[in-house]
Amino acid sequence: MRGYAARRLLVALALIWVVVTFVFLAIHLVPGDPAELLLSQGGVAPDPGAVAELRQKLGLDRPILARYVEYVAGILHGDLGVSLRDEHSVADEIRLRLPRTLELIGVAAVLALVFGLPAGTWAALRAGGHADRALSVLSGIFLSVPVFVLGTIAILVFAQKLRWVSAGGFVAFERDPLQHLMLLAMPAGTIAVGLSAIVFRMTRSSVLEVLGRDYVRAAQAKGLTPRRIVLHHVVRTALIPVVTVLALHLGSLLGGTVLVEFVFNWPGLSGYLVSAVEARDYPEVIGIVLVISVLFVLLNLLVDLLYAVLDPRVRHG
Amino acid sequence: MARRAMSRLLVPAAIVGAIIAVALTVSLLPLPDPVKMSVATRLAPPGLAHPLGLDEYGRDVLSRILWGARASLSVAFLAAAVAGVIGTILGLLGGYLRGLVEIVTVRSAEAVLCFPPLLLALLVVTLMGPGAATLIVALSILYAPGYARVAYAQTLAVSALDYVVAQEALGARPGRILLRTILPNVAPPLLVQFSLTVAAAMVLESGLSFLGLGVVPPAPSWGLMIRGARSTMEQAPLLLLWPCLALTGTIVALNVLCDRLRDVLDPRAGTASAGFLGRGIARILPGVVDPATRPALLDVRGLTIEIATSDGSFRPVRDVSLSVAPGETLALVGESGSGKTLTGLAVLGLLPTGIRATKGRILFTGRDGRTRDLACLPEPALRQLRGDEIAMVFQDPGTSLNPVHRVLDQVAETIRAHRPATGPDAVAQAVGLLKEVGLPDPDRRGRSFPFELSGGQRQRAMIASAVANGPRMLIADEPTTALDVTIQAQILDLFARLRGRGSDTGLVFITHNLAVVAEIADRVAVMYAGEIVEEGPVGAVFGEPRHPYTAALIASVPDGREGRLESIAGTVPPPHAELPGCRFAPRCGLAAPECSAEAPPLRDIAPSRASRCLHWRDVA
Amino acid sequence: MIPSVSRRSLLAGAAALPFLRIAAARARTPGVLTFGLSSYPPSIQPWANTGTAAGTIKLAIYRGLLSYDAKGVLRGELAESWAAEGTTAWVFKLRNATFHNGDPVTSADVKWTIEQIADPKSSAYFRAEMQGVERVETPDDRTVRFVMKQPSATLPLWMASYHLPIMSRKSTSAQPIGAGPFVLKAQERGVAIELEAFPKYYKPGLPKLKGVRAVAYADENLRVAALQAGDVDLIEYVPWQSMEVISKDPKLNLDTVDGPFMYLVFNASKPPFNDARVRKAVGHAIKREEIVKAAFFGRGSPLAHLPIAEASAFFNAELKDGWNYDPALAKKLLAETGHPNGFSSGLLSTAQYGMHKDTAEIVQQNLAAVGVNLELNLPDWATRVALGNKGQFDLGVMGTATDSNDPDALANLIDDSLSPSYVRSFGLKAPRISALLKAGRAEFDAAKRKAIYKEMETLAIAEAPIVGLAWRSQGYATRKEVTGFKNLPGALTFHSGITLEEASVG
Repeated sequence: MRGYAARRLLVALALIWVVVTFVFLAIHLVPGDPAELLLSQGGVAPDPGAVAELRQKLGLDRPILARYVEYVAGILHGDLGVSLRDEHSVADEIRLRLPRTLELIGVAAVLALVFGLPAGTWAALRAGGHADRALSVLSGIFLSVPVFVLGTIAILVFAQKLRWVSAGGFVAFERDPLQHLMLLAMPAGTIAVGLSAIVFRMTRSSVLEVLGRDYVRAAQAKGLTPRRIVLHHVVRTALIPVVTVLALHLGSLLGGTVLVEFVFNWPGLSGYLVSAVEARDYPEVIGIVLVISVLFVLLNLLVDLLYAVLDPRVRHG
Repeated sequence: MARRAMSRLLVPAAIVGAIIAVALTVSLLPLPDPVKMSVATRLAPPGLAHPLGLDEYGRDVLSRILWGARASLSVAFLAAAVAGVIGTILGLLGGYLRGLVEIVTVRSAEAVLCFPPLLLALLVVTLMGPGAATLIVALSILYAPGYARVAYAQTLAVSALDYVVAQEALGARPGRILLRTILPNVAPPLLVQFSLTVAAAMVLESGLSFLGLGVVPPAPSWGLMIRGARSTMEQAPLLLLWPCLALTGTIVALNVLCDRLRDVLDPRAGTASAGFLGRGIARILPGVVDPATRPALLDVRGLTIEIATSDGSFRPVRDVSLSVAPGETLALVGESGSGKTLTGLAVLGLLPTGIRATKGRILFTGRDGRTRDLACLPEPALRQLRGDEIAMVFQDPGTSLNPVHRVLDQVAETIRAHRPATGPDAVAQAVGLLKEVGLPDPDRRGRSFPFELSGGQRQRAMIASAVANGPRMLIADEPTTALDVTIQAQILDLFARLRGRGSDTGLVFITHNLAVVAEIADRVAVMYAGEIVEEGPVGAVFGEPRHPYTAALIASVPDGREGRLESIAGTVPPPHAELPGCRFAPRCGLAAPECSAEAPPLRDIAPSRASRCLHWRDVA
Repeated sequence: MIPSVSRRSLLAGAAALPFLRIAAARARTPGVLTFGLSSYPPSIQPWANTGTAAGTIKLAIYRGLLSYDAKGVLRGELAESWAAEGTTAWVFKLRNATFHNGDPVTSADVKWTIEQIADPKSSAYFRAEMQGVERVETPDDRTVRFVMKQPSATLPLWMASYHLPIMSRKSTSAQPIGAGPFVLKAQERGVAIELEAFPKYYKPGLPKLKGVRAVAYADENLRVAALQAGDVDLIEYVPWQSMEVISKDPKLNLDTVDGPFMYLVFNASKPPFNDARVRKAVGHAIKREEIVKAAFFGRGSPLAHLPIAEASAFFNAELKDGWNYDPALAKKLLAETGHPNGFSSGLLSTAQYGMHKDTAEIVQQNLAAVGVNLELNLPDWATRVALGNKGQFDLGVMGTATDSNDPDALANLIDDSLSPSYVRSFGLKAPRISALLKAGRAEFDAAKRKAIYKEMETLAIAEAPIVGLAWRSQGYATRKEVTGFKNLPGALTFHSGITLEEASVG
């Protein structure tokens, strides 16, 4: 067991290293010069001397290998560097923004489970019926409406017409908890729409499969109520693949909520990543990707743990 | 079932086919040029010349939607297909060969998952320049790991299966095993993955176009159209509707198609039963039972079971009658497919969806002395009897115990379903029961999960669960078939011991093993092709069979002295081929013309003996 | 009946609940204006160009020697008066003003500022210009004398730019100390910047506001929604498609000027665009109304000459249609240069900004009509800039605003003596234009300057160093309660932040 854990950790570290190296090379390979860009804001021609000075100041004139070695050494010391744009600490900024994105994803996941699980179970129990078909079509719609359309409509309805919430934005929880939650609701809800459709589809097929298992019939033979059979015997087992798929999707949402963050002006990690790429702010891009891949690895570990909780065969096997 | 699934496949397949056909033939359709601008008439509302109106550059929206189908679909399908091929290969190799290959293929694919999808797309697009080809590359990279994961997990599961192991033992080449054996088995989940991927690719295409990373204008794509329409949402909201509608419609059609396709490829998933939710009552019959014909415990009369299919219905069980007295053991014997298991399930009202008892009565006398017809008892009333007065032991304890719950809890839950016992009480009782069925160290072993027990121990637990509430009627469906020979004997001993308690529990023992019958049963009923062909006390039937099938069965039992197995010539007729005469006639040595003329009834031939053979006297 | 009544009142209560909460949520601090920015400033270093959003913040917290009034006329700011001494010296008299740290603004601070900008290690926008300052003399605390290496008529324009604020010599890069009407109070990076009124601001009674909260809304639709919903009081970069709705909204004001413009740049280092006639042909092939209509929803006007505004004293009415739409002429010019059937080439733009993409689509369509088939290349902005700077393009769409309304600001776009830049044509040879620009910069007489620039524009129409496409409307929108904020005319629109000191919110 310990050997397995050690090997896993090693593979995970190698994975992160590969990712960081790849991103480091790729982002440097991509055309665009951060110094030039910073001084070219608004379609203005910068002074070439100023650009050269800035390049030197930012260390962009040094060979890429030297910068790579220095960067990796920095990581090993827990230093993610500073932004090329304003010398702001990358680690500080990630510390600030990561919780916001995690919050967004977390709430969306909870919402998706709250709606997707019961709906998926229900549809599976009535497979082939009208309700099942209606839900399947609905899930298709949920899957296919682009979030930026959904978000724009949500803003139009809830912020502009009904005036229930502000038109996007972010207020820190400690500053105004209520406002924070209300501003959170719309983007989280928008993500949850697509996510709940995924949960729905997975749950439905998983429950259908479990319903055909012998132990479900055995449970019926015991005279258990349908409620107990569904909750205790069917859903419990059917959850296992649902959890895996959901976790994978949550992983891809780390840094993948960019459109929602954009449409709702939610200052999370994804928007930060995109603005960093657009500005070719190398330390920021690599720092964010590093953090995301570490999180992804952790998420995978968490899924394995969850697996063990849900499936005793894994726990004891 | 498969044919029905096929026909259900038609409609979504036709829709998806039509969409693809439009995408392919759009250049032949009499449509306006999708890139021809007419800025002067921009945002014109729908009209005769332009059914869906004009967009922000005055281009025909209908034409752009149809042309856009080509771009959006080809990107989505190609990306999903390329990703599917690459991912499946990686997953198959990793899952089958394991070791270093696994690290190189599956784990390296996972590195991609570490990337935020958008960053990956952003990097690929920035490096390669925007465009449809870039988009396909980016999306393929993005989606391949998903396939790899699914294929990997599925391959792991499949390659442990008996038939794969058997092929390996026979020396089949790995390539052949992968292609011929494993690939078809991992295909269904991959198809689902494909449908999800195509949908996701189309949505992502629109998202990337929104960010300017997608298809290059002025070529139309749905994503670009949505992006363009969003800025003119207030002036022309319909412009947003059309591409969204096209996207949604296509994705819904694709989802339905892939779901149905999976049903065809993997019928198991589609036929799952949810019958317990609200089993329709097959027939409304008077529930009152004539006191004069009151049976001792269980009295099945003229039971007929029908399976409805799209090709009409057939009857796997016909006119079956049998009765069990308190304390009596009846063995129900027959080859597989003879309908004995369905008969057992019918008694408990557990027939799978689509299979119904259409004729006959199942009279059961409960503890309260009242006799009920189980065939027309409503589900809640039936549920109260199940597990309490009538219990069942299933064939495979490995699959009939829920893998995620402790054995003890599964026994205790039977008690709690019918008795007002508290949790700890029920557990204490369950421990007692497990001890009674001979599970060693029941206190500790009871807390195990099913997979931690041996087959025999599991079956003991199943039996403990079945007898937990002291049922009046126990139906055991091949309870020893899945077990080793030595364990079989122990379990039979257990049944004998449970019966020997002096209880008045009636037992129906379903089996194909005549040796077992001789050991355990008082009476035996022999089933062939859905009918009971002979019935009587075990000694009498085995000593003097009065039906050629029974005689043949007895003869086929390997005899230690002769060491020779005499198999019955011919095969059991398929259940849906109902012959006019005796169903055994085609295989019968005694068959005469009259045998095929009319189906012979089950007739009493002696006190407590019955046979369906016209020539029972001639059976040696 | 009782249950129905109670249910109805319950419903009423439930419906009212969100509104009550909104009232609490939207409670605004009186006197604080919420400004919806188009992006979060990457940094607010005083002298570097970091974009127009940063410019607005800089105009609120820093002050230069000069600035513009609401009509766009040069006025004194930290300097109460200024005058040229001959052609190579300028003298500025400082007024009694105070830095945010309480120190008075002195000539030593001005000298220090200029030295910082001209420092070889500086990355300031006016680095080259300030390196053209021979020396800064400080005869007394209130007098600054610039001695230039060459005659410079345009020095006052530079001094009015938001890239050239005067900073206290006690400033550090982490702690810049300016003398503007507002003080930087807090920064929530990526989200909002909070400014507070500076009580010792040198203009009595100003600023009228107690503070400004600048919130970044990158999505233009959301920026408008936030204004309509009352979340913000003032937004910049009003998207063109929303101008109609906003101008009709009785609760909102729209203030637009035609200031920035779209134009085409060429790779003149290789055929076919090394030939001025081909460039001119392109200029005659464009239906500019279509660009105004499709890319800017009619909010703008065609630009068929150099970007000199009609209101400018340097506007030449007879050159107004220099590159008018004339496909026959375009074809003729193409035929003359050996392209009777047109040619194929590439058009570089960016998909990151809608106006660049939209303009490119129309240009592509228009040029196809005269046989020039362009393949669009729409990478992200950073790549587009890099490709432009390296000359890896044939034809490019650009959009910008000049630094000021003075024609000297055009040098940035057409002066072939400047280093290669994505805002200019690549590898262009137009020495006569550069010479005229240089002459204009050294000329102090207004009438002579006008003549020089007229000649320059005439030449430019023929040589087409760039091709003008369209003026685009640049808009600010406010709630009716906001008064005093003004969109400055023409190219000065991005200087509008200067009027924040006059703004008040009712």
